[in-house]
Amino acid sequence: MVETTLFSLLHGLALWIGEVAQWLIKVTGIKEIQFIGDWAVTGGPVNFLTILLVCAIFMVAALLVGITCIWQERKVLGRIMDRRGTQVGMLGLFQNFADAIKTLLKELIIPRDADKKLFMWSVTGLIGSSVLLLGLVPWSTRFFVANPELTLLIGLAVFSLAPFFIMIGGWASNNKYSMIGAMRGAAQLIAYEIPILMVVLSIIIMTGSLNFNVIVAFQQTHMWLMFPLFIGFITFFVCGIAESERVPFDLPEAEAELVEGWQTEYGSIQWGLIMMADYLRAYVVSALITVLFLGGWDGPTFLWPEVWYLIKVFFVFFIMIWVRSATVRIRTDQLLKIGWKRLLPLSVVNLGIAVVMKAMGWF
Amino acid sequence: MVESSNNPRDKKLRATGYMLKPLWVTLRTMVRVSLPGHRPRTIMYPWEKSIIPDCFRGRPGIILDKCIACQKCVKVCPTTCIKMVQIEHETLGKVKRPEVNVGRCMMCGNCAEVCPTNAMIVTPEFELASYTRDDLIYDPIKLQHPWKAGYEINYEEQLPSNMKGPAAKKGSMELKDTVCLEAKKCISCSRCEKTCPTGAVKMTDTGEVNEKTKKPIKRPVFDDTKCVSCEMCVDVCPKDCLTMKEAQ
Ligand code: SF4
Ligand code: SF4
Ligand code: SF4
Repeated sequence: MVETTLFSLLHGLALWIGEVAQWLIKVTGIKEIQFIGDWAVTGGPVNFLTILLVCAIFMVAALLVGITCIWQERKVLGRIMDRRGTQVGMLGLFQNFADAIKTLLKELIIPRDADKKLFMWSVTGLIGSSVLLLGLVPWSTRFFVANPELTLLIGLAVFSLAPFFIMIGGWASNNKYSMIGAMRGAAQLIAYEIPILMVVLSIIIMTGSLNFNVIVAFQQTHMWLMFPLFIGFITFFVCGIAESERVPFDLPEAEAELVEGWQTEYGSIQWGLIMMADYLRAYVVSALITVLFLGGWDGPTFLWPEVWYLIKVFFVFFIMIWVRSATVRIRTDQLLKIGWKRLLPLSVVNLGIAVVMKAMGWF
Repeated sequence: MVESSNNPRDKKLRATGYMLKPLWVTLRTMVRVSLPGHRPRTIMYPWEKSIIPDCFRGRPGIILDKCIACQKCVKVCPTTCIKMVQIEHETLGKVKRPEVNVGRCMMCGNCAEVCPTNAMIVTPEFELASYTRDDLIYDPIKLQHPWKAGYEINYEEQLPSNMKGPAAKKGSMELKDTVCLEAKKCISCSRCEKTCPTGAVKMTDTGEVNEKTKKPIKRPVFDDTKCVSCEMCVDVCPKDCLTMKEAQ
């Protein structure tokens, strides 16, 4: 029996919609437009409709998970600080939606001397690349948008677009705080991108593939990569926190020194989208850690693989929140020192371990 | 010997103090407060309110029948948010009573402190939001507030007769001010007598007679036991012959 994937499920739905359209056109009895009905059930339109449906469903699901991450952060931080966290609705789940409506209702202000087009488009680019990332990480072998051979590479390429948009946004604001924040952001993101790539390289060496499905299948047959590549796991985790600009690596924002960093001039829904993008990136980092090190959707069969995947993602995100609650923001020089002097050598060591393990034939 | 430096750049980020201990503390807190039966410290504000201490200074309030319209509160208010307005009252009739612009008030309590009759008090009310600025101007009727022990701010007033030692002679700051008359300038208009809210001023014959009009010359006499140092007579005097002096 072929496993039902999201695609094949929705393919049936699209075919049915096409058939309904064909029948409706037949009912009209107009001979001249019959061919439209016949065309609606052919491969092209049905496939197109299926892909649209898959994208819509997957995107809504992933966005909901991203929003739940925000809720989780607020609740867990509340517990750690012995307060209640969000309150609106059931368990405070609707606070995020209330906040979204609130930011939507604010006036959108563009500074007079700002480069207006770049100012607007940098946000679009940032949120666009973040949402694109959502679609790249599959939840299981049956719940995914696309499954290209080089998913990991595409994902990291899209991930590293952020410094560009941050620089653009900070420069276009025409504000020195934004500029300093943007430069800090770019320095940080570029510094931490390299260890990430090195760690990913070790995973490629171990599994021999850039495809998430193969990587997870490898972990299912051998063991979770967290154990042999523990150094790489820690390095990836720290770099991931830095890449998603979270405490203690939130230097680009640094609201104490830099007002709000590169997002100083952004308001209203733009600010909301930037915040959203931050959390989506944090979610993607958690998802990457899950898939690359924690066996992805691997788990006992009494739960769906998607559920295992979500449990692991939320657990990784919980650890990120925990680290956030416990640490203070570090200085720029410490940040760069940690990046170049600690994490980079560690990732090289990790790469060496992977190579040795592969060469000895243990995996 | 290891040289120690105060330069923060020389301090190293040590894993135990910087990461592990905070992580342990936060985890412990989280587990402890997540156990059932624990109540977070949040005060669910609109539904439950924090306990207000006795000395809390909220918006000022007034007890209308205690007020003697002496205007001391008007003068002392640092933000000049008090104004005297005329009101029509069932028992008091047409009287002047203070009106407070609560929007400007900084809840310093100076007006309550200075009020000689404890008519002005501090209330525990702090929820003063309103939809318009006009709503924030509390006229005397709206400003009323039931009295409770502790609402007035009293400082111990020491009468000169109670004082002993050198302080009694020097005239210390705790002594209240009394009015001092420069008799030569006075034109016997008796406005001070009419304005005084406590009836501490009385026009009395000096025995002299005005040569032009052949009428006896009257001068005000101040009853220091009744005077509340409100300076109303000083304000109203057309010839500036009254001043406030520290009581001797
Ligand atoms: S100081 Fe007291 S008595 Fe005098 S006007 Fe103000 S409230 Fe009335
Ligand atoms: S509390 Fe202070 S600011 Fe407010 S009315 Fe009284 S004197 Fe003025
Ligand atoms: S108001 Fe002044 S001038 Fe008039 S009676 Fe009093 S002290 Fe004299």
